[in-house]
Amino acid sequence: MAEWNAFYQNEEADEEQEEGEESAVNYKVTGRDSLVFLVDASKEMFIKGEDGEPSNFDITMQCVRSVYTSKIISSHRDLVALVFYGTEKSKNPRNSFKHVYVYHDLDEPGAKRVQDVEALRGERGARLAADTMGSGEVSLGDALWCCSNLYSDIKLRLSHKRLMIFTCMDQPHGGDSTKDRQARTKAGDLKETGVVIDLMHLMKPGGFDVSLFFCDIVSPPEDESELGLQVEPCGKLDDLQKRVQAKQQKKRAMARLHTVIGMNVAVGVYANAVTARKPSAIRLYRETNEPVHSKTRTFHTQTGSLLLPSETRKVYGNRQIVMEKDEVDTIKKFYDPEIFLIGFKPMEKLKLHHHIRPSVLLYPEEQQVTGSSCVFAALLKKCTEKKVFAVCRYTPRRNYPPRFVALVPQREEVDESNVQVTPPGFNAIFLPFADDIRKLDTPQFPTASDVQVDKMKEIITKMRFKYRSDAFENPVIQQHYRNLEALALDMLAPESIEDFIMPKVEQIDRRLGPLVDEFKELVYPASYNPDSKPAAKRKTADAGGGDEKKPKVEIPEAELRAHIKNGTLGKLTVPVLKEACKQFGIRTTGTKKQELMDALIAQMAK
Amino acid sequence: MARAAKSALVLCMDVGFSMSNSPPGEEPPFDQAKKVIQKFVQRQVFSESKDEMALVLFGTDATKNPLDQDGQYQHITVRRQLMAPDFELLEEIENHVRPESQQTDCIFSLVAVGLFIQVKKYDRLNIVLLTDLSTQVSSDNLDVIIGNLGKLGITLQFFFPFPMEEEEHNEEGGGGDGDGDRRGSSRPGVGKGLSREQKQGLEMVRDIMLSLDEDEGLDQVYTFSEAIEQLFMFKHIERRPMAWPCQLTIGSSLSIRIVGYKAVTDEKLKKMWITVDAQTSKRDDVKRETVYCLDDDNETEVQKDDTIQGFRYGSDIVPFSKVDQEQMKYKHDGKCFAVLGFTKHDSIHRHLFMGSQTIKMFAPKDDEHAGVALSALIQALDKLNMVAIVRYAYDRRCNPQVGAAFPCIKQTYECLVYVQLPFMEDLRQFSFPSLENKKFTPSESQLAAVDSLIDSMMLVEEDENGQKEDMYKVHEIPNPAFQRLFQCLHHRAVNPGTPLPTMEQWLKDALERPSAISERCQAPLEEMKRKFPLKAVEKKKELKTGAQIFGKGSAEPDAKKSKVDEEEEEFNLAKISEGNVTSVGSVDPARDFRSLINQKSLPFGEVCQQLTHRIEQLLSNRSTHYYMKCITCIQTFREQSVKLGNADLYNSYLQSLKKSIPNSGLQVFWDLLVQGMISLFIGEEKKEVETEPAVDDAGDVDDLVSVCLNSSALKYLMFVS
Repeated sequence: MAEWNAFYQNEEADEEQEEGEESAVNYKVTGRDSLVFLVDASKEMFIKGEDGEPSNFDITMQCVRSVYTSKIISSHRDLVALVFYGTEKSKNPRNSFKHVYVYHDLDEPGAKRVQDVEALRGERGARLAADTMGSGEVSLGDALWCCSNLYSDIKLRLSHKRLMIFTCMDQPHGGDSTKDRQARTKAGDLKETGVVIDLMHLMKPGGFDVSLFFCDIVSPPEDESELGLQVEPCGKLDDLQKRVQAKQQKKRAMARLHTVIGMNVAVGVYANAVTARKPSAIRLYRETNEPVHSKTRTFHTQTGSLLLPSETRKVYGNRQIVMEKDEVDTIKKFYDPEIFLIGFKPMEKLKLHHHIRPSVLLYPEEQQVTGSSCVFAALLKKCTEKKVFAVCRYTPRRNYPPRFVALVPQREEVDESNVQVTPPGFNAIFLPFADDIRKLDTPQFPTASDVQVDKMKEIITKMRFKYRSDAFENPVIQQHYRNLEALALDMLAPESIEDFIMPKVEQIDRRLGPLVDEFKELVYPASYNPDSKPAAKRKTADAGGGDEKKPKVEIPEAELRAHIKNGTLGKLTVPVLKEACKQFGIRTTGTKKQELMDALIAQMAK
Repeated sequence: MARAAKSALVLCMDVGFSMSNSPPGEEPPFDQAKKVIQKFVQRQVFSESKDEMALVLFGTDATKNPLDQDGQYQHITVRRQLMAPDFELLEEIENHVRPESQQTDCIFSLVAVGLFIQVKKYDRLNIVLLTDLSTQVSSDNLDVIIGNLGKLGITLQFFFPFPMEEEEHNEEGGGGDGDGDRRGSSRPGVGKGLSREQKQGLEMVRDIMLSLDEDEGLDQVYTFSEAIEQLFMFKHIERRPMAWPCQLTIGSSLSIRIVGYKAVTDEKLKKMWITVDAQTSKRDDVKRETVYCLDDDNETEVQKDDTIQGFRYGSDIVPFSKVDQEQMKYKHDGKCFAVLGFTKHDSIHRHLFMGSQTIKMFAPKDDEHAGVALSALIQALDKLNMVAIVRYAYDRRCNPQVGAAFPCIKQTYECLVYVQLPFMEDLRQFSFPSLENKKFTPSESQLAAVDSLIDSMMLVEEDENGQKEDMYKVHEIPNPAFQRLFQCLHHRAVNPGTPLPTMEQWLKDALERPSAISERCQAPLEEMKRKFPLKAVEKKKELKTGAQIFGKGSAEPDAKKSKVDEEEEEFNLAKISEGNVTSVGSVDPARDFRSLINQKSLPFGEVCQQLTHRIEQLLSNRSTHYYMKCITCIQTFREQSVKLGNADLYNSYLQSLKKSIPNSGLQVFWDLLVQGMISLFIGEEKKEVETEPAVDDAGDVDDLVSVCLNSSALKYLMFVS
């Protein structure tokens, strides 16, 4: 019978398939994003609010800084620019525009730029701005034209082009219709080259009337239902200031496979979630701090000549079972890359604890096989209705042993504003093999009585909250980024992080009140202390865990000599031997006991 | 982690006369039994298990055992004393275990084995007997045997060529626990009737097993064929997972002592492949070395000690030494299982489970109070359909995790099941085009075809007793990667110099669709094929390049595209104030051009001519400002051509423009046009507009970038992942 044949879309590049860039289709983004901040620098921007509230200019700089720092972490390859208009002085590439001051050209953000923006903040920042740029005539048209030149000077492929105007003036030209028209025309030009123009209008006494002028400048709203022009002073600012430091992930397929029942349905495989790690370190040359690159080579220890892969073989473990390299690959090969449907099972057969690795999402690849989406949609619909999942044999790449997956249907979900919350597709849950399941001795205990259970129910109810999968930041990574930022920006100390996965003990205690004691009375006898025994144990565990706390094990030289003389050196433990080596200034390369002993004996013989 | 106590296993195999008898066409029991033993030893050897193993043969012609006196205990050969299994043992089995011609009372021989195996400090000792029970057994010493075995704490496993009892196989693993139910489908083993001796032997085995363990004794009796395919029956002698004692805390004053064990984990091979020299096969002859080079022309090498580490911060690289990093990094208090709160079970998504393991949390064995307290929590969670969200840290050196503790209630035990959940940084919140799209909506008949396909391929069915039978349990299949590797290693070790064998048939079969399903789904599959037309799109050469990447809108829902069109046509204030347009002016030629085309007052050709004239005029200024304007014009030209389905004028204009570039010194303009703004030709939007090969030659394709009209793709906060 016909199989779910699979093929790779670019056979020759399948090595890189795992992590490599994929040729993207419409909903996958390639190229870099770009963002231009176009900031009004006219006098009105510098007016401070009542009660010493920061000026609009100050708020804007704060905002720009936070976007810069976020960008650096999330996608440092993106380009950003900072342009002021309505300045007295001019500074732009060919100095062809008056009253436009390009503070930062479109480029990748770095520490210097963050510091530059930082310098424009506050009282001193306002003075600096006045000194360097000053405030002058406003011509938004020129400013926009200048920005469009910034874009056109970029030789890179840009995916998103975006321009944000920060101003508190709803009539920037004070009713000068020529200038207004010019600005509209330029805005139109920009929009036609794919630039999205956003307005971040700021507080203004008497309110900001978008309809006076800016409604013709900004890009039309994405959605009819959404009012693109907010009447409220910009709520978007809050979003911009929100500090989110996560590396932005470009969407790319991990594999493209052909699947399904006697027909070649093409699907792409996407990761739902991947454990984020600290970005990897770059090696730098100590003298100059310039990056170095590494080369790895395999050579023969006897002859010193470099070895080609063909001159080596593979050995498994410590036994002398030798195989050719390609034999090792053949052993791993079972099937061509594919997803082979075994059958269907009711949802309740999917065991919660059968979890061995994060799942992946399958989505049809209409570009490869037309009609795939239709089969996919039909399967998705029917599996959901019938409450079944598909059991499939999954071979993501060549020379990759198969795993079995449960394909669980996931219907598309959208929120109130019609934004997709959950994409449609099948989640592939990896199923364990017999080897992956461990047999446990299960201790048996009397089950709790209803009274005890009810008390616990009260506790649980008091501590209910709404879980969201994106609610917890990884404190380890966040701390790392903050540290890095502090070093890069010469800050005195890194910004403190909030550890979201730390239990809020005080709040919990307050909430639970007497419930805890009541529960303890119900389950624990008076003499019982759950903290006592393990507390003692924990101490030892901790001591064992910390390397630096290990007591130094030194041994007098006389004793050592005696050991050598009697040939009982082997009785000493490896740490003792190591310490002894250090004591006598012996540099040891090996960590094996025999090597250490040899080194010591050699040293003592001198 | 070192462990003082070890497990030991004595493999007893009957090699006597009857074992090599079989009806024609069937594999003799001897061969099957040998395979079981080889499989198991293989596994132990290649995973370098430290558990000791002995091999005793029954029914050998010779006799070799410590009790060989006065004609007692004859025909029993100890092939190997208890020791760690090694490669020699495999070779010995391969070469020296062969059918012999004597017979012994197998059950009685077990006593001998029990006697001469020195019970050292093993924390468990297991005796496995493989026999066909064809010899006369005497029941005289049964009590003694049982008594001895019980005293020594020895457990027994029996393997026969036939199933213990036909009826036994209807039993379905109770409680729906995946770990517990271990009976596979009843094998079409030896269907013929059993001899008197065999029946008698079975009776005795039953007596022994039930007296050793009333409840589950018979679970340890297997058939050969079961054993070959499902080696997990040996699992219960494998070493125990490490215990992780901790305290579950709720707030500051409520704590419950718990012990965690890994229950399910992505098991990897214990050993790695090592590269050796092809000639000498010696590992020490090959050395890998990493050197660091500066990025200069000579690639100057620098010592590793002369390098420090740094991290990228935007366009800068910040030096950040290991010491500083260690000093400044996130630190925590170590081992922890603290409840952050409780939440609804269904707010935890199965597809967002992280990590590679699940951990089961029990109360410590000797602590009944903790047991009751934990039970209260588990029961309460289960009744409320809630789970606990916890902070979990293995120890001080490991990074803390956030995870969920689910209640798990089985017939014989209760526990919490811990699974890691994602951090915000881990999530890949991609969005995909909706499938609720007219183009993809399946018809009723298509849905019906899928419906009958699913019905025909259900792997779980109710039998006549209303019991649900699962005919494909993935968690009972041994990892094929391990099986295949062990098979090949074994082969290479025993038969060096010969090519690797093919995959074993049983393993192949185990990974295929059950034959019953394959037959049943044949017709519905054909129907599916008829109902769903599929067409593979030819692979394009440029698949990886610009044309494909920026082929925006090819499968994008039509709705979006038309929306863009509407937007273009909508009135705006500027237009109204402009008044009527009669010719393509120089202020905004692109807009004039568009208006003229919309007005249809002039022929398309003439308007185009006006526009190209204007472009030439603007270009003659040789200034970037004007270039921008021209690009806009060309873009509008293109867009209108697409709309009207007439690309000839546009294409030929661009062609001539391109030709004129080298002579006119407009290379800068052309680069601008090509690199940032416009995909020159109209491939995807409208079929009728043909791509012009002259311009769309291979050199340019990579660089062409289409205009990003689709503003809806731009999410508001693009920096929020």
